Amino acid sequence: MIRLAWRNVWRNFRRSLITIASMACGLAALMFGQSMIKSVQYQLIEKATGSITGHIQIQHRMIKEYKFPDRYIDDPDPVEEVLKRQPGIKAFGRRIHMTGLISSPKTSMGALISAVQPDREKNITAMSTYIVKGTFLGKDPKAIVMGDRMVTKLDLRLGEKVVVMAQAEDGSMGAEAFRLSGVFHTGSETFDGQIVYLPVKAMQELLVVGNKVNHFVIALNNIEDTDAVAQQLKEKLAGKPLQVLRWKDVDHEIVGVQRFQNALLDIVLTVVFAIVALGVLNTLLMSLFERVREFGVLMAIGARPSWVMKLVLIESLLLGAVGTVFGLIAGSLLIGYYGHHGLRLPLGEALSYFIPFPDVIYMRYVWEKHLFAAGAVLVTSFLAAITPSLRACRLRPAEALRHV
Amino acid sequence: MFDGDGGARTTPLIEVRRVTKEYKTGTKVSALSGLSLEFHSGEFTAIAGPSGSGKSTLLNLIGTLDAPTHGEILHQGRKVTGLSAEELADFRLRHLGFIFQAYNLIPVLSAVENTEYPMVLQGVPAPERRARAMEALRSVGLEALAHRRPDALSGGQQQRVAVARSMVHRPMVVLADEPTANLDSKTAAALLDLMHGLNTEHGLTFIFSSHDPAVLSRATRVVHIRDGRLVDPSEAHAAPDGVA
Repeated sequence: MIRLAWRNVWRNFRRSLITIASMACGLAALMFGQSMIKSVQYQLIEKATGSITGHIQIQHRMIKEYKFPDRYIDDPDPVEEVLKRQPGIKAFGRRIHMTGLISSPKTSMGALISAVQPDREKNITAMSTYIVKGTFLGKDPKAIVMGDRMVTKLDLRLGEKVVVMAQAEDGSMGAEAFRLSGVFHTGSETFDGQIVYLPVKAMQELLVVGNKVNHFVIALNNIEDTDAVAQQLKEKLAGKPLQVLRWKDVDHEIVGVQRFQNALLDIVLTVVFAIVALGVLNTLLMSLFERVREFGVLMAIGARPSWVMKLVLIESLLLGAVGTVFGLIAGSLLIGYYGHHGLRLPLGEALSYFIPFPDVIYMRYVWEKHLFAAGAVLVTSFLAAITPSLRACRLRPAEALRHV
Repeated sequence: MFDGDGGARTTPLIEVRRVTKEYKTGTKVSALSGLSLEFHSGEFTAIAGPSGSGKSTLLNLIGTLDAPTHGEILHQGRKVTGLSAEELADFRLRHLGFIFQAYNLIPVLSAVENTEYPMVLQGVPAPERRARAMEALRSVGLEALAHRRPDALSGGQQQRVAVARSMVHRPMVVLADEPTANLDSKTAAALLDLMHGLNTEHGLTFIFSSHDPAVLSRATRVVHIRDGRLVDPSEAHAAPDGVA
């Protein structure tokens, strides 16, 4: 039966080829869409976590606005001990994030101050890699680095003095002079024009908070372990006035973008399946109409109606299988090409306002999604064959034999 | 009952009892009207009649390809009217062979594959069915063309393949609806020789329809029908549109 079905598939070569091509193009487009969206999401997460958020943060339990922690962890040393012993962590660091005023000899402007541990930060975020002039924070306890946009606004040059003012815990204003040691360029307006980095030790002195910090930031060896490590940390830090936050808790807007993109993908998926189903249905109905007499002959020589039904279903499955194989090959090659050469997307310009986001997306395979799509194309081709196969098996042999 | 020889026999191979077949195409058209008939094993019977007389309808009913409106049909004493579509397919597969006017070979299969197809449906193991199909093709003189597809065969060759396909699974009867209608007289005669040879040498029962006198003259028994009824041969001869 399979041999007959296979030959029947190729009986009208051009029509089958068009159907197979439409299935293959549909599947390849679907795989490309899946890959593009997942690659954008991956790069979005990678850039967000790799530029400021980290994979996990530990903050005071009373903090509601996770991006701007306004409470201190009074005793950070026990947390440090827990983190040192926790498997799966690549690096972690103490931080103070707060808004303040940055003054150059000529002008002043507001900024987000990110006070970090310089030696650790290099292993947590990629900020040190964006330095275009001077150096990132190092041994100099009074060094400060900022983006090129801010440097231009403040009319600063490397080595010049900058005064940082911020509000201490008791409400008083603290001020300290720093020296511009490095300038970075990320391409993000927010980062390049609104954020400064300085050593956490200096910030603690400026704010007179002892060794208090307002959060710990943690980079994991593998982002996939985020939920598991966060859960383990929650258990280990239970009883302390702390909360363990995953990147998706801090950057919840990314999760919203992900949901939107996934919904978009589902719509595209449905449209592609509808196109595939209509293509297969059309091919099978045309084929059925042309072969009514032949089905009559098969029934006359002893083929059961259920056998004829199976024949039509197998033909459709074979058509679907060939389309799926070609679609998988075409989709894989397309993703492989753009995975190697990158795909320039205007999306990068839009997102880079908020975070350092590249214009070029490097496509990645999402095999669980691709295989699901391939399976769905195959199932769709099977489902599309149900009506034609039922019509074929309901033919009456004598009437079918009279069909011209 | 009027038929070619009308001799009394034992249990009939096929018995047609008061069969009526009506088609509804806007108005009710009666293709067969209360027809009764018997066929016996080993016969080489022709059903004669003009176009529209009901020959094909009768063959379709005997071949269980269609169901009578009234009456019943028995094969070897077993009533086949009323069986389900699946049961009828099984019955045809085991007991009947068909030859059609338009050859009706499966175009994507070669001559030998067409010939062996009834055995594919029967589940005969591949080596055995291939051997039997080749043997059947040898008996119709087409062994050398076994691997050609129908479009590479002449009409006569295609009909020979159809004959091979109709007998390869050893049916109790082969039903042939105007098997020579699309063939030239020489090829038609050769085909009849072949069918007759299979009948005499292998005892294969043939029931075939035709309105060609040359074909009818080869039959050992001729059943005449007109307007869906059996007619006496003398009436058939007298009929303005009847056959000789």
